[in-house]
Amino acid sequence: MAATGFHLRATPDWRLPPPLRRVGIVGIPPLAVIRDLNDRGVEIHDLDALLVAADLEESVAHLPRVYCAILRTAVLNALRLELDAIYIDVGPGKCDGAFQVAAVLAETLPIPVVRTVNDDTRPFGVPLCKSRLPLLEKFQRITEGVKMADPGPPLSSCVPTAGFWGVPPRDFSILSLFPDTTHVYGWTRCMENKTPADAGLEAFCNPEVPTVFFAQSFCAKTALARLLAGRHPRALCLDVDVHTGSSARAKVEAFLELTGGRR
Amino acid sequence: MIFGDFGTSYCKLWEPEAGPPRVVATKDLPPGVRVDWATGHNGKRLGARCVNELIALARGGERLIAEPSYLLLDCGSRDIKFIRYQDGGVADMGWNAECGASMGFTIELLARYYDLDYRRIAVPGKTFSVTCGVLGMSHIFDAVIGGVPVAEAVARFVKGIALNAYRFAGSPARIYLSGGLSDNPLFVGSFPCEVVPLGRFVLLEGLAAAAGRTGGAGELTAGGAA
Repeated sequence: MAATGFHLRATPDWRLPPPLRRVGIVGIPPLAVIRDLNDRGVEIHDLDALLVAADLEESVAHLPRVYCAILRTAVLNALRLELDAIYIDVGPGKCDGAFQVAAVLAETLPIPVVRTVNDDTRPFGVPLCKSRLPLLEKFQRITEGVKMADPGPPLSSCVPTAGFWGVPPRDFSILSLFPDTTHVYGWTRCMENKTPADAGLEAFCNPEVPTVFFAQSFCAKTALARLLAGRHPRALCLDVDVHTGSSARAKVEAFLELTGGRR
Repeated sequence: MIFGDFGTSYCKLWEPEAGPPRVVATKDLPPGVRVDWATGHNGKRLGARCVNELIALARGGERLIAEPSYLLLDCGSRDIKFIRYQDGGVADMGWNAECGASMGFTIELLARYYDLDYRRIAVPGKTFSVTCGVLGMSHIFDAVIGGVPVAEAVARFVKGIALNAYRFAGSPARIYLSGGLSDNPLFVGSFPCEVVPLGRFVLLEGLAAAAGRTGGAGELTAGGAA
């Protein structure tokens, strides 16, 4: 079999020549990439999010069914959207799954698939994570923020009554169960801070508030979620695959009610 | 005031002023039934107010178990769920509606099909590895084909379900058991730990607690558990 470049961790030169109008990103490419795309007026689509109304089963032709639902969604988006290129972060700020998916996308699509390794360390702050906004809105704004190189507006923080630790779930509906006074921890906090590879920040949580430790099913972060939940005095460890089932919703509802997190 | 625990196979209805609760097969539930406080799969549809099953279980446990630390496991027809208290506070919980699917339902189905009385079947030494009621049945058929008596094969299946529930609950030294299966001696005896059966009305106790009804622990479950 001919060499295909699957072995490359990062694409040597991430700058792509024009024309470049619409690109997709998977994970959080380095700030320099996002800034360059912003400066060139390129439309950015976050492929980790739900962007197309298509059956996730379409991804089975390219990825196993038992695989991270976010990466399956990214592949589905990449197949359906008309993009000029894809930037996929495959460093410690994303996951090994993305590294493998980069190869799948490069093999499948006729467009450049640029692999990046984001090791940015300049902290942008986490005002959204600590704000008193509906949790769903916090996540929408944080995930939208990955397409911008500039920090968001300042926000006043609130005293937390609950915590959500983890990645943005594929299915945001679970977020509506939490009170507005929920603080966000884990990789989502790293996203807002624009330091996705900051393992120390990712492992930070607040033992004073009941916290749901969330990970996507089949994601390596389920191990960290369990480890941290085991240490936390009031924790619920939860993994969800494609959709939030009724038992997952009930667990979160009961956990918040019985631990006083709903206040 | 009427409380209703609307399970997949059985509904438990309780009007305290009218007497003890009654159990009705869900398939025989009269149309038009409405209650004031409900829980269970059909709770939202049939109750003026609906309480999440895990919350009903927890509140029921708080009324029935006078200990600061305990594990309460509910084995239903379709799912299993547990809640663990540590020093008076909720420490862990779980609800397995997928891999724990149809375990209680399957146990009852097997008794009817093979005409078995679980009160007359001893706890077997061997067990099947069972993580799902439906998938686990193939073990029974294979064992029977291999010459194992039907009662022994079904008993291994029931023991496998009990072990699965035990592990799901975190392998505690003692389990307070809620649900219809707590009346099944084969199932109760198959746990490798101490089991305190609480009967099938724990969630009704929880509804009464949620409604602010006083009555004390053990109003439904004779003597309480502690």
